[in-house]
Amino acid sequence: MNAIRQKDLILYSGLIILGLAAPFLFSAFKVQLTYLCVLIVLAMTWNLQGGEMGYNSFGNILFYGLGMYLTASVQVGMFFPLAEWTESGGEKTFVHTTAQYFQGIGVGLLVAAIVPTIVAGAIGYAILGLRGHYFAICTLGLGIAAGEIAGGIEIIGAGQGFTTPPFPAEIVDPEARGKFFYFLSFLVLVLAFVFVKYIYGSRFRLILNAIRDNEDKAEAMGIQTMKYKIVGWMCSAFFCGLAGGIMGGLIGYIDSTDVAFDGREMGVFMVLMAILGGKGTLWGPIIGATLFHFFKEGLWTFILGWQYVALGVLIVVIVVYFPEGLMGWLREKYPDRFGEVIDEKDRKAQVEIK
Amino acid sequence: MNKLVKLFITSISAITLALVSYTSSFAKVDGEYIVLGSAISLTGKYSSNGVHTQNGYNMAVDRINKMGGVEVQGKKYKFEIIYYDDESNPKRAAQLAERLIKQDGVHYMLGPYSSGLTKAIAPVTEKYKIPMVEANGASRSLFTKGYKYLFAVLSPANQYLEVAIDLAVEKNGGKPVRIAQAFEQDAFSQDVRLGILDAAKRTGSEIIIDDKLPKELNDMAATLAKVKATKPDVLVVSGHTKGALTAIRQISEMKVDVPMLAMTHCDAAKLSKQHGKNSEYALCASQWHKNLSYKDKFFGGGKKYDKDFKKEFGYAPPYQSAESSAALLVFKDAFERANSFDRDAVRDALKDTDMQTFYGNIKFGPGGQNVAKPMILFQVRCKGDTCENKVVAPTKWASDKFYHPIPKWSERS
Repeated sequence: MNAIRQKDLILYSGLIILGLAAPFLFSAFKVQLTYLCVLIVLAMTWNLQGGEMGYNSFGNILFYGLGMYLTASVQVGMFFPLAEWTESGGEKTFVHTTAQYFQGIGVGLLVAAIVPTIVAGAIGYAILGLRGHYFAICTLGLGIAAGEIAGGIEIIGAGQGFTTPPFPAEIVDPEARGKFFYFLSFLVLVLAFVFVKYIYGSRFRLILNAIRDNEDKAEAMGIQTMKYKIVGWMCSAFFCGLAGGIMGGLIGYIDSTDVAFDGREMGVFMVLMAILGGKGTLWGPIIGATLFHFFKEGLWTFILGWQYVALGVLIVVIVVYFPEGLMGWLREKYPDRFGEVIDEKDRKAQVEIK
Repeated sequence: MNKLVKLFITSISAITLALVSYTSSFAKVDGEYIVLGSAISLTGKYSSNGVHTQNGYNMAVDRINKMGGVEVQGKKYKFEIIYYDDESNPKRAAQLAERLIKQDGVHYMLGPYSSGLTKAIAPVTEKYKIPMVEANGASRSLFTKGYKYLFAVLSPANQYLEVAIDLAVEKNGGKPVRIAQAFEQDAFSQDVRLGILDAAKRTGSEIIIDDKLPKELNDMAATLAKVKATKPDVLVVSGHTKGALTAIRQISEMKVDVPMLAMTHCDAAKLSKQHGKNSEYALCASQWHKNLSYKDKFFGGGKKYDKDFKKEFGYAPPYQSAESSAALLVFKDAFERANSFDRDAVRDALKDTDMQTFYGNIKFGPGGQNVAKPMILFQVRCKGDTCENKVVAPTKWASDKFYHPIPKWSERS
C-alpha cells in the first residue's frame, strides 16, 4: 500500500472529493448515486470469486437479501416487538425516535455484515467443493430457495413484505434521508475499494488466481485451496450484507423475491456489470457498474417496455465483441499501457508458425 | 496514456456539466398542462394488469381534456401523465417515484398496479408530501400506516371474498362450511386471505387446506390434488391474473369437483373468453361491473364506459381500468375544489372528496381507503358457447341468481 504513486494519489483524492461533493452537485440524483455505489460494491466483490477465483457465483444475492432482512429486523426488533410490526393489517403504529432509528440501523448493519459472513463460511464449507457449472447452478439455487423460504416466514412479513422503519419525522429536511443513505453507501464503497485494492497487492490474490487457472496444480503446490476459497467468499458476503442493509433502508419496503433475494435482477446484474467492465481487474467492475447504471437510467425510460430487450442486446454485444470486458479489450488494444511488454519478434514468430 | 486520460477527463466533465445544469424540464404545471407521474408495470409479472391500469388512466385523460379539462382559478388546464415502467418490481418502483418527484418535478402522483408496488411508493410520496391517488393498491396494511397523502379509490383487499364465505354458509343452510384456500405470496392475496380468515372465524367455518402459491405461478396441481381428496365446500384462489388462469386451467384438466369456486381477477384474466365453458360457475370478486347504476358526466354510466373502452382499446374493460379512470376524475374534482396547485390544498380537497363516478361512490376514510363503495360478486355463466360475467351479489344489482352448487364435471357437457 505504501507504493501508491503520486499519480494514483491525485486520482484517488479526486474521486473521493467527487464522491463527497456529488450529492450536493447532483442533488436530484442522490438516489441514483446511492444505487450506483451499491452496484459498484456488489460488482467489485462478486469479482473476487467470479473474476479472481474463477468461481461464478449467482448466490451472492443470498448475502445481500440476508443483510437487508437482518438490518430491518434488528432496527425494528431492538425497540418494538417485531411480530407486531410486520403483522399484516396490524392496527398498531410504532414510530422510531431519531436516536432509535440511527442506533437501530447502526447495529443492524453490523449484524448484516457479520451474519452473512458466517453463513458464507458455513455454506462455502459445504458447497465450495463443487466446481465450474455445478457450483454456479448450486449457488443459483441458493438465492431462489432463500427467497421462497423468506416468503414463508411470518415474523419478517412473509408474502406481505416488510416495511422498513420510515426515516425519523423529526428531521424536517426532506433531503436528509437521501444524503444519509448516499454517504452510508459511499462509505461502504470506499471501504470495499480499499479492501479489494489491498487484496490485489497481496499474496491472497495470487492464490485466488492460481485456483482459477488450475486448481489441481495449486493444490499440488501445497495451497489449501478450500480454505482460501471459503475466505474469499466470506469477504464478498461481508460487503454484500452491508450493501443489502443499506438498500433495504433506502427502498423502504422489502419483498422476499422481488427486493431482497432478487436473483433475477440484482443477482444477474452484479455478474453482468463485472463482465461488462472486465472481470479479474480492479477497475473493470467499477467501470462496468457505472456504465451499466448510466445505460439503465438514461436509456431505459426512452424505450419504455423494451428495456429488457435492449438489455438482452447489450449482453449479446458484450459477449460477442468484448468477451474480456472493456478493460480486457483495452488491454488487448493497448497492452503497453497496462505495463505489458510485448516482444515483437516473438509475436511475429508465432504468427509465422501458424 | 495521455490521450486516453484527456478523453476520459473531457467526457467526465461534459457529463458533470450536463447533470449540474440539469433543471426539471417538467414542472407541476407546465404551460396549460397539469403533469401527473406514474410508475406502471409494463413488463414483468403484472404487465397485463399494468396495461389495464395505463389504459384506464389514458382513457380518462383524453376524456377530461376533450371535455374542457380542469378549471383552476378561471384558467383551463389539461392533464398529462409521465409514465415509467417499474418492471413489476417494488425496488424499481420506489426508485422511479423518487425520480418522478425529484427529477421530473412531478407534484401529483397516480398509483402503480398492485399492493406491493403501492407499498413501496407510498413512503416516498409521503416523504415529499406528494398527494397520490391510487386505484390498484388494495392491501389493508396500506391504510393502517397513517399515510396522509395516499388516497385509494378502491375497497380494501380483505373485503374481496369475505362475502363469498357468507354466501357459502347461507347456501349450506346457515351451517359452517369447510374451506380450502390457496393464495399467492404477495401483499394483495395475503390480505384477501386475512379477510377469509376473519369470515371463517365469524361463521365458525373450518379451513382444511391453507396453501401458499409462489409468485409467477403456473402450477397449483398439488393444492388441487388435496382438494380432490378432501372435498371441501368452497375453494378460494387468489393470485392476480395468472392465479385465475392457472386455477381454471388445472381445475378443468384435473376435473376437480368442488361445489363453489371463489376467485379474484377473473375479468382482468378475461376468463370467460380465454377458457369459455371451463370457467363457468366461477364466482369472482370485483370492484366494479358495467351493470352497476352509477353515473357521472364524463363517462356516462358503466355500460357507456364499457362501449367506449372497447372502441378505443379493443377489449372489454376489467375493473382495473375502470378504477384507474376514476382516479383521474377524483384528481380533477380535487383540483377544482382546491382551486389551487398548492399540494397541501389539493391534499385537503382530496380528503374531503365525496362524489359519484361511473365506477362508484368515492369518499375517503381516515386511512385513505374508499369507504363509500361495496364490493360485488359475479359469476361466469354461459349460454351456448358465449360466456359472460353476471352480477349475483349484492342483490341490489344482481342480474342473475347465484348458481349453486357447481355441477360435477361428469355431468357438464
